[in-house]
Amino acid sequence: MRSAVASSAPARALGRARDDGAAIVSIAALKKTFGDLEAIRHLSFDVGDGEFLSVLGPSGCGKSTLLMMVAGLIDPTAGEIRIQGAKVTGPRREIGVVFQSPVLLPWRTVLQNVLFPIELLKLPRPHYRRRAMELLRMAKIDEFAGVLPRQLSGGMRQRVAICRALVHDPNILLMDEPFSALDAITRDEMAVELQRIWQVNRKTVIFVTHSIREAAFLSDRVVVMGRRPATIIDELAIELPRPRPIAVTEDETFNRLVRHLRKAIEASHAE
Amino acid sequence: MRNNIGKYAATIGWPVLVTTLILLAWEISVRMLGIRSIILPPPSAVLETMAHRHDLLLTHLWPSLYLTVLGFLLSVIGGIFVAVLITYSAIVRKGFYPVIVVSQVIPKISIAPLFIVWFGTGTMPSLLLAFLVAFFPMTINAAMGFESIDEDIHRMARTFMGSRWQIFWKIRMPNAMPYIFGGMKISITLAIIGVIVSEFVASQEGIGYLIKLAGGLLDTPPLWDHRGRGKLGGLLAATTRGRRGRRRMMRCS
Repeated sequence: MRSAVASSAPARALGRARDDGAAIVSIAALKKTFGDLEAIRHLSFDVGDGEFLSVLGPSGCGKSTLLMMVAGLIDPTAGEIRIQGAKVTGPRREIGVVFQSPVLLPWRTVLQNVLFPIELLKLPRPHYRRRAMELLRMAKIDEFAGVLPRQLSGGMRQRVAICRALVHDPNILLMDEPFSALDAITRDEMAVELQRIWQVNRKTVIFVTHSIREAAFLSDRVVVMGRRPATIIDELAIELPRPRPIAVTEDETFNRLVRHLRKAIEASHAE
Repeated sequence: MRNNIGKYAATIGWPVLVTTLILLAWEISVRMLGIRSIILPPPSAVLETMAHRHDLLLTHLWPSLYLTVLGFLLSVIGGIFVAVLITYSAIVRKGFYPVIVVSQVIPKISIAPLFIVWFGTGTMPSLLLAFLVAFFPMTINAAMGFESIDEDIHRMARTFMGSRWQIFWKIRMPNAMPYIFGGMKISITLAIIGVIVSEFVASQEGIGYLIKLAGGLLDTPPLWDHRGRGKLGGLLAATTRGRRGRRRMMRCS
């Protein structure tokens, strides 16, 4: 195996997609200010088709803002985001989003929650009902299909949210610190689960997190963002074989990757 | 199944038992203490009047009940409508909402004579007063229900390209239902008060009229009886709206 720790590329080349996938999302010279506050200064990177990309950075560095812009919920101040060549101007059908909290509708059952996007998008229900059940089975929560969210644990609720984001078969899955509200043990479990679901579904994933280990464990590539105003300060390809068992996090190779990422973040703090 | 019936019996049984005990204590204490009927008639006397003069009582019950229900329904429709305006129109929210809230300082009962000057002594003043007192809690509750949507839920719906219309019917409305039912429970009791007070002020029929008439004649038993009926109407109305209704009923009565 090639050294898993790729040398830090020159600044100009940062954020280019891997060679083996065409870019499905491209972000160019992105800038976002809220009044006087500069949240994102200058951000450019591509995401390859089928790639699992993590955006790693400290809290409040504008990672979520970036994701909301990709989702088409907020407009960039300057620069642009293109999805499959088309400029993002609003929410798009080929995107599924998982938020920090599960945001399930408390009066709907698990299955009804998963089918919520189908109703909003006015897609044929019987067909997607079958798909929803398959997703629930894959996430190992199919036996709770008829149950209300409040009867589920935090981890199970987040699984429902993941199923909901996948139900309309989007190409791109955006995840905004989806496991940050969970306890450490459930977090590890969910990371393994997510990897499994991703290997079956092969979506392009942009995964925002402040957990170095989580980013290193899940991703094909990690983009590191510095403190506000955010720019990309480093990028790292994670070339560990899949499926990765949770035990991989104890390997020396893995820890070398984690150290590399931590140093990059610490260096940005020192500035 | 059997368990359900048992539970149902318990929810009915307890209030019935407590009411019976209270009536019994009342009856006994009136008799033991020798309180004159004109001050506090025993329940037996009230029941007797109820049986004896049920014709008169029923004729006066209907107009009151009818106006209460109509005023209540109008307040529900009007309240939800205004709440929608408050939710979706910045002008209404910023301009009218505070005015509506501040206007609640005026005791609406004091407007009753004005209504009588405007509309005469018919049913209109009663209906208007019932509507007016019941409208406010309805509006406030519905508006609260429509607005207490988690920002994340709103965002989630937007990422799945939900339209405003869809967000209203699939998120805001179901989210507001408990608030709307809460408002209805307050509104129905206020509507009864509105009607009876308006009948106090001026009318030729209704429970309020009868109470005033009986009071003027120092005829206490029927007076108590009407109170009982007013309460009974409230009880019935509150009970029909399920478990929460029953809980409220117990608090009220």
